[in-house]
Amino acid sequence: MLRRILLVAKRDYLAAIRSKPFLFGLIVTPVLAGSGFIGIAVMKAKPDIAERRIAVIDRTRAVAPALAEAVEEKNRTDIFDKITGKQTEPRCTIEIVPGDDADPTAQRLALSDRARRHEIFAFLEIGRDALHAPQNASAEKLAPSFRVDYYGNTGGFDETRMWLSGPVNDAMRRTRLAQLGIDRAHFAEVLAPASMQSMSLLSRDVKTGQVTEAHKKNEAEIAIPISMMMLLAMMVLMSAGPMLGAVADDKQQRVFEMLLASAGPFELMSGKMLAAVALTLTSSLLYVAAAILVLQSMAMIGLAPFSVLPWFFIYMVADVLVMSSMSIAVGSACASPNDAQHLAMLVMAPTLVPLFLLAPIMQSPNGGLATVMSLTPPFTPLIMLMRQAMPGGVPAWQPWIGLVGVIAWSIGATWVAARIFRIGILVQGKTAKVSEMMRWAVRG
Amino acid sequence: MDAIQLLNVSKTFGETAAVDDVSLTVPEGAVYGFIGPNGSGKTTTMRMILSIIYPDRGAIHVFGDELHGRCEQVGYLPEERGVYRRMAVRALLEFHGELRGGRNVTAEVNSWLARLDLAHCANQKVETLSKGMSQKVQFIAAIVPQPRLLILDEPFTGLDPVSAESIRAAILDLRRRGSTVILSTHDMSVAENLCDYIFMIFKGRKVLDGTLESIQQRYGNDTLRVAAEGGAAVMQGLPNVEKIRDLGHVQELRMALGCDPQEVLRALVARTRIASFAVTKPSLQDIFIRIAGNGAAEAQNA
Repeated sequence: MLRRILLVAKRDYLAAIRSKPFLFGLIVTPVLAGSGFIGIAVMKAKPDIAERRIAVIDRTRAVAPALAEAVEEKNRTDIFDKITGKQTEPRCTIEIVPGDDADPTAQRLALSDRARRHEIFAFLEIGRDALHAPQNASAEKLAPSFRVDYYGNTGGFDETRMWLSGPVNDAMRRTRLAQLGIDRAHFAEVLAPASMQSMSLLSRDVKTGQVTEAHKKNEAEIAIPISMMMLLAMMVLMSAGPMLGAVADDKQQRVFEMLLASAGPFELMSGKMLAAVALTLTSSLLYVAAAILVLQSMAMIGLAPFSVLPWFFIYMVADVLVMSSMSIAVGSACASPNDAQHLAMLVMAPTLVPLFLLAPIMQSPNGGLATVMSLTPPFTPLIMLMRQAMPGGVPAWQPWIGLVGVIAWSIGATWVAARIFRIGILVQGKTAKVSEMMRWAVRG
Repeated sequence: MDAIQLLNVSKTFGETAAVDDVSLTVPEGAVYGFIGPNGSGKTTTMRMILSIIYPDRGAIHVFGDELHGRCEQVGYLPEERGVYRRMAVRALLEFHGELRGGRNVTAEVNSWLARLDLAHCANQKVETLSKGMSQKVQFIAAIVPQPRLLILDEPFTGLDPVSAESIRAAILDLRRRGSTVILSTHDMSVAENLCDYIFMIFKGRKVLDGTLESIQQRYGNDTLRVAAEGGAAVMQGLPNVEKIRDLGHVQELRMALGCDPQEVLRALVARTRIASFAVTKPSLQDIFIRIAGNGAAEAQNA
């Protein structure tokens, strides 16, 4: 049996690795996956620094001059790269507009029209009582007179609104301090922000007792777990994903019946799964080696999570086994590769769901959602790996419990897939419904 | 020793009995022809012999052993043929041979490629071959290494006469070298000329099994083969003739039970000039149609 499995695996592996789509995917997939990072890098290299004119209606009749001053101060200090001195953020200028208390709506409409004509970028309306707004009240619950409203025409994350938040608050504080009679000469000292540095925890070596000092955290520490998760997802989708169409194509070409005289369905399926694992190991070893070389060349090799690498490969093998077995099962139940593509989402869901949940898991890697999802077998490989690679890691027992679940899931998925495959490959002319596949899985 | 024994084998798909209580013994070294209309159960029977699917009831023995899995001594050419089309011919044949035989088969592959006039395309991809050449490649994939039992589902379909002849010769050669051959066919002349035994399955049940002679014996000398001026048209309404099968220049007449051929001859002479008149056993084609229903070439005697 093993001989036949290995022979099928060898054929499939060599056929795949020599194919142009595989070689093309090897190069293009990481480029596409990393295009987001490339886009950010390009945007950073060529930032939009066009001047932004902000109109301000100051109904307090007290804050606007301080705001203009705070904005100018920020223009002088915060919009340039601290190392190169190059401007990286747009400069804002303030245009103070006298408030029209008789018809404020008409005034807002007029300013909105100016924003649409790009005469101004946006406008601020500082409410009459904004300096004395109730403490701890959210903006949604405050009456308009207590609020500072920002009117803009840009959707999504409005960087300018965030940019202005500091100067607006600074101006409000300066005005309040002035009204309290504090000497303006002390304003800078009073309002100076404290800089907070994010540090790692200290640790003690169990054997030597030596204490390792905390180190400054940097952005790359977050990039590494995300990159590892993305790499794992990419590897799984690259190797097991195309198998769905390939099996459906082989079935359409009537390849299986001739093979079935020489090898059983389980042997054929196992051979194909083994080929997928070998294919994934080949490409992942290339990528991991390339990543290590890149980190070394950037003198960032210390960030490489070598302790998590074995888990990366273990989870990858398990995930490829599950994904490829399901791909083979679903592919064998389809009448054509086109039909198989319609069911692709079904097979890829365990890989895609963790990607959708990336943001909440990143925000709270040891929270309830992240822990439960990482211990749910279909999602364990991607989510547990990311949590393990993050600073602080996970409790030691979690990866092992996760691994037990993943192994059980892999065996179960393979068993179910084999039963579907055995029947599916002999059914010609129609694509099986999901209910039929489930019946094959139950009854064999 | 018997190559194959099927003991009361049944297989049902949903509500349909594909094979219904079939028993069959295939002696070693024989060429056994499976005939029957489409959907009668031939392929299902073959798949059960190969353990591709399993019977619901009954037992199958191959070379004396009850079958529970793959048999490395069995070669198979399915009706729905397909191979990895992007593989080179020789690599494909070596893969199939090693998968079944578990050993290097390069020498046998080269020998068969030369014999079936495919040596020049050994390194070509299968997808570049013509349909006939591709079928010959698939035939080689089924017979390398030489199997003790070879199962061929419609091996001659789509082949030109030259290719069909080379496959026919190869089958006979394999039998001479000890292989038992089961083949299914819709071509009754193939079954008559190539097969030692004929098994007919109809609606899942065995309806014929034996040598051609023994099968024909069961139907007696009830067939007249006549060539006459005016052809089938002048034979309509002949007394004691149940059916007329028009073969063009010759007509086959099936007589009613107990009828004297001389009476038919007298009636024919009264109508037209006779070129030839022979009393024969029914052909396999005729027997097939009697069991499975009327064919297009058969005219009902009113």
